[in-house]
Amino acid sequence: MSDFSKALGVSSSGLSAQRMRMNTISSNIANINTTRTPEGGPYRRKDVVLESMPETRNFGEILTSLPDRNVQRVQVTDVHVDRKAPILKYEPNHPDANEDGYVAYPNINLMEEMTNMIQATRSYEANVSAMQSTKDMALSALEIGR
Amino acid sequence: MSGIFDKTTDGLAAALNFRQLKQSIASSNIANAETPGYKAKKVDFEEALARALDQNGMGQLEGKEDGHFLAGPGALSRVRADVYDNPDINMTNDGNTVDLEKEMAELAENTILYKAALRLINKKLGTMRYAVTEGSR
Repeated sequence: MSDFSKALGVSSSGLSAQRMRMNTISSNIANINTTRTPEGGPYRRKDVVLESMPETRNFGEILTSLPDRNVQRVQVTDVHVDRKAPILKYEPNHPDANEDGYVAYPNINLMEEMTNMIQATRSYEANVSAMQSTKDMALSALEIGR
Repeated sequence: MSGIFDKTTDGLAAALNFRQLKQSIASSNIANAETPGYKAKKVDFEEALARALDQNGMGQLEGKEDGHFLAGPGALSRVRADVYDNPDINMTNDGNTVDLEKEMAELAENTILYKAALRLINKKLGTMRYAVTEGSR
């Protein structure tokens, strides 16, 4: 059963990584016109950094054996903040305009966010079907000798 | 295992184990389909299994590494699956080599073959049950 729970663990790590990615994309789209943030200045585009690492079930496994390098889970290790220069728009009446009358808007490309969103959705779906078929296998193993 | 459980049952059990491993590896490849620098893994065991089962009837003796021949009772438990970085795929810009469609297809195939092996085991057990109930079931 351990191999199945490993496969399920890996697929669920994929699901949470893609969900996290979806969250940052939603945040980017929602804040496409945000000019004020707690840290000051316009909103900055965020992006997740994905990293693969060996899937280990518990501490004992790490101690007693080398982790299985072939089965790797995926994890969001960092949320990268885009340092691209903001887009300046001439809006002298805006409360956040600088002394020349320009307002700094986030440098977010909607097309880019939408394509990333589709990609994240597809990856999520792929992980769901991987999980389904693993579950299917595990359940049919229970039928041995029935 | 020996006695009432013959080579077929052993072979099917080994196949189930390998299918589980393959499932984990395919899942891992799918989960990491967008991880920069991740290299897709591949598992091969069919050939090693066929050799251990002596399917072509040549009685080839293989796997002498540990001083034992890979034949006879217990041979199947010594079959090792071969896991390696999949060479026949093209790399994307971020160094990732996962082909998602291929992985999904492999996953589906793996599930079907796993279920096929399960069904065969159940048939095997069914014939045994038929025998022990003297065919009166």
